[in-house]
Amino acid sequence: MEEELFIGDIIQESCVNLHMQATTKEEVIEEMATMLMKAGVLSSKEEFIKDVYLREAEGATGLGDGVAIPHGKSDAVIRTSVAVARCDQDIEWESIGEGPSRLIIMFAVNTNDKSKLVTLLAQMAVSLCDETIVQKLFQCEDSQEVIQLFSKKGEVA
Amino acid sequence: MKIVGVAACTAGIAHTYMAKEKLVSAAKRLGHTAKIETQGTIGTEDSLTPEEIAEADVVILAVDVKVNGENRFKGKTVIRVGTAAAIKNPVELLVKIEKALNANED
Repeated sequence: MEEELFIGDIIQESCVNLHMQATTKEEVIEEMATMLMKAGVLSSKEEFIKDVYLREAEGATGLGDGVAIPHGKSDAVIRTSVAVARCDQDIEWESIGEGPSRLIIMFAVNTNDKSKLVTLLAQMAVSLCDETIVQKLFQCEDSQEVIQLFSKKGEVA
Repeated sequence: MKIVGVAACTAGIAHTYMAKEKLVSAAKRLGHTAKIETQGTIGTEDSLTPEEIAEADVVILAVDVKVNGENRFKGKTVIRVGTAAAIKNPVELLVKIEKALNANED
């Protein structure tokens, strides 16, 4: 039987920070990579950060409405995972929409991973298309609740 | 309108699936039907059948990279946008496409 996976399998509570104090995009990426490194997700923080910036160079990862989704496809990722940061201050972030970002969802994907874990990331991205979920993500104060919010599937499956 | 399309982004992780979601939702809202194939890092999902392509009024390619099998759409009206356009203003995009198609028919 195929193993059922849940969003909780790719977000560790220690990789959620709902009051990040960083004030620049560089600091956010650095702090989020540090969370992932400490959680045992990365084999090399520096290499992962390099790959995040490679993706940044290819196009804006800000979505508008205060949300950004930087992501690194990297050999330095041991297990495909996600970090979530909500910053207390607005962060200047290249965006396809308007304005700065405050809610940053960072995807860390192993370069060769084609498993269900990557499907979960896609599902998370889709849930960010739902305004009510995004609104709740901006308000909630509980890491577990963040994980639960992402577990809700978008309206159109 | 009957819409078919392909979504594909650079990393094939997030924008591909958001573009699909936004296009399908917008189509539903406007009373169109849309089937969007995703070409992502996990491979191709919701593949378009030759029948679906034949029946479609328009093909939307919401892509930032080269798509596989573009020759399937030969002879069709193909609109090419980036995933960003599909994610940011999907309703506006579809309204514009519909207007352009109607203008062509007149």
